[in-house]
Amino acid sequence: MTLQNDQKLHSPLPKNKNSRITRSLGRMVRMMVIYVLLVLLALFLMGPFLWLLSVSLMPGRNIFSSPPAIFPTFIDFDNYVQVWQFMNFPKYILNTVIITVLGVVLNVILASLTGYPLAVFHFKGKNLVFTLLIATMIIPSYTAFIVHYLTIQGLHLGNTYLGVVLPGAVSVFNIFLMRQTFIHIPTDVRDSGKMDGASEFRIWWQLVLPLVKPALAVISLLEAMSFWNSFLWPIVILNDTELYPLAAALTYLNGQFAYNFGWIAAGTMISVLPIIILFLFTQRYYMEGLAGAVKG
Amino acid sequence: MIKWLRSESFTAWAFMTPGLLLLAVFVFWPIIYSIPLALTDYSVISDTHYVGLANFEAAFKDRNFLISVWNSLVYVLIVPFLQIFSILMAVLVNSRIPAIKIFRTTYYIPVVTSMVAVALIWSWLLGNNSVVNYLLIKVGIISREIHWLSDSNLALYVLMFITMWKGLGYYMMLYLAGLQNIPQDLYEAARVDGASRWRLIVHITLPLLRPYILFCTLISLMAAIRVFDEVYVLTKGGPGTATLTSSLYIFQKGMEQFNFGYASALGLIVGAVIGVLSIIVFRFNRKGGVNPY
Repeated sequence: MTLQNDQKLHSPLPKNKNSRITRSLGRMVRMMVIYVLLVLLALFLMGPFLWLLSVSLMPGRNIFSSPPAIFPTFIDFDNYVQVWQFMNFPKYILNTVIITVLGVVLNVILASLTGYPLAVFHFKGKNLVFTLLIATMIIPSYTAFIVHYLTIQGLHLGNTYLGVVLPGAVSVFNIFLMRQTFIHIPTDVRDSGKMDGASEFRIWWQLVLPLVKPALAVISLLEAMSFWNSFLWPIVILNDTELYPLAAALTYLNGQFAYNFGWIAAGTMISVLPIIILFLFTQRYYMEGLAGAVKG
Repeated sequence: MIKWLRSESFTAWAFMTPGLLLLAVFVFWPIIYSIPLALTDYSVISDTHYVGLANFEAAFKDRNFLISVWNSLVYVLIVPFLQIFSILMAVLVNSRIPAIKIFRTTYYIPVVTSMVAVALIWSWLLGNNSVVNYLLIKVGIISREIHWLSDSNLALYVLMFITMWKGLGYYMMLYLAGLQNIPQDLYEAARVDGASRWRLIVHITLPLLRPYILFCTLISLMAAIRVFDEVYVLTKGGPGTATLTSSLYIFQKGMEQFNFGYASALGLIVGAVIGVLSIIVFRFNRKGGVNPY
């Protein structure tokens, strides 16, 4: 009796166990396939950077070997030391930092100044402003850079950082992003500020802006990346190669020292590392912001 | 007057003036001013004359311009590849498994890097006696070296590949946002009804991803026609006119030969082409339409 009972009790179990095993085995196989695909994709997208890093660490004679060297036989930092001394990198980095900071600050201030009334104020012409902003998104301004060039020369800002930054100092995209954020600020905030007798500007600066820090961070990151990587416009506006930002200096280096591959590799690494590091530290906000900007 | 100075209306305009002023100068003015500019022979070298539609007539007879527009239209072929691969990547990184965030981040690194650096890296990878040729020969896919960037039948497609390689991660992130916006209970409900995996994709994922597909297609289309940095750094339009894209040609006419009137006319023509293409994309996606803001 007991035995029978036991059997009855246990008989479904082995079957159940088996299916559970097959299921978890299936899940494991699927996970393995996913990881293999993920790693292959990572090699495809990161491989060229890793190879560049590897080349930049190769001693000179390693680079021109045949078959081409993929991994260095021993690691040395000579390329970095030499190109750093030769190219005056601190200056180019400083140039890039100035352009980036100027661009980011102008974008953050102008976008939040312009977006604020569009979100919370009631005034005549609001619809007109809105329509005009949307119109700029629809009409392609393909010749913009020719007129930009004439405008910057007309303002006597040629060969200056202000001339580099101004055409990109405000963007309709950022204005909309800020407006979308300001709309969600409770009206109480503004009312309480008014009650205390603060001016609208002070309310905006001291009460509202601290509440929208995430949106300000997103704009800062997006703009930091685009200004850090800017290349075409700086070489159009700056006559003086001493004023070039990194990306522009890099093409200059490539033109001058195409034979000294290790140097250019090291120089390229130096130019991309700061922005990659900035991205790695801020990627959470950046990616959320990017996704949020599309979702709206 | 004093009353108006205290009104909300005045404060609003005061807030917006700096931003709107800059927008007027750098966004509205270029659109307006390029029209009269295109009707002149304005250049730095000589006096300016009104020439009517002569620039436009010349453009349609300018063989290099027509080739450059054609090349730009061929370049648009990368757009579907970008969308398909990016969606597949987004599906892949949407899995809830350990370390997935590391992979997402990794795939995004080409996006944050400057196009100049990316172009330089690929020019070395693809050059003669280079790593890609070496590996492909070693694996046995090709038998002798391929001149990726100096073969006029190949160069444009190689540039397209590089553009795609850099953009994959960007569109992947947008599609990932789209995927994560799809309510999970839709899938559960369909699964209870016995729907297959394929049917889930066709009837739930793709329709709900549609606005994102439209948005990404439009921005990648405009980016493909606008493509400049990679062409400028890698081939400068060569060999011959094999990789001469419209933006590079306009740049050469405008910023290298200072032929502003002619370059403006070319810009207006290409702008019209972009407008027509955008309308076609919208027509194909009449139901879609994401408001990116």
